[in-house]
Amino acid sequence: MENSKIIIGYLIYLPIVIILTIYVSKMLFKNGKYFMLDIFKGKEDIALATNKLFEIGFYLINIGWALLILKITYYSKFGMDTQTLIEILSKKIGGFSIYLGIMLFINLYFFFRGRRKSRQSNRITTKTPIYNVQNEQ
Amino acid sequence: MNYNILTYCIFLPIIAMIMIKVGWMFYTNGEVFLMYLFQQNTSLVKSINNILLIAYYLVNLGYAVITLAYWETIESALQMLNTLAEHLGIIIIGLAVLHYNNVLVLNYLVKSKTLNQ
Repeated sequence: MENSKIIIGYLIYLPIVIILTIYVSKMLFKNGKYFMLDIFKGKEDIALATNKLFEIGFYLINIGWALLILKITYYSKFGMDTQTLIEILSKKIGGFSIYLGIMLFINLYFFFRGRRKSRQSNRITTKTPIYNVQNEQ
Repeated sequence: MNYNILTYCIFLPIIAMIMIKVGWMFYTNGEVFLMYLFQQNTSLVKSINNILLIAYYLVNLGYAVITLAYWETIESALQMLNTLAEHLGIIIIGLAVLHYNNVLVLNYLVKSKTLNQ
């Protein structure tokens, strides 16, 4: 009897987590395309390929982690009541959502770092300042 | 249906509404600042802003959901109101602190950029 509540918990947890991961990485890499185009200076094929590779990595890490923290351990003589289930699920889903947000910030940091590196190397090789339009103010 | 579950059902819509509204306001008004910082590079600014918005939602709603696990047991309607107000207040004050922090950092960035030109 107490196992059935845990299985209900899994059935609620899995769709939420997987849909969240898919939605977030779709949004992230739809927007990451512009960063990649900026980093690779308009070489579209290599930029899109890198973006796709990053996306696959993001999926694998996050869904893997979501499955890893799936297990609910709860022992009681009277079985699990609804309130306990809600609290356990909130801990899991909330924790996963914060983790996903932090992963997103880390990814954004990587994008910025790549962009800075690419602009630095560009400046050294060609010596042309790229953004100098606003100096006339 | 005990009091705790009822309180969760009241708490979650309120906090979600506040967070989505506040995040949307940051999104629309922060774009102007980012536009200035990134020299009118529109597509890049849009994508940075989108990613920031999603990360904000994930972290904040995740935090709001995770605090549910640590509430005390609620036995009466009065206690329900007290707990509800307390938890909502903590999160809203946290949002305010983050918001002022954000404004200060953006102001600093814009100022240092203007001085450098």
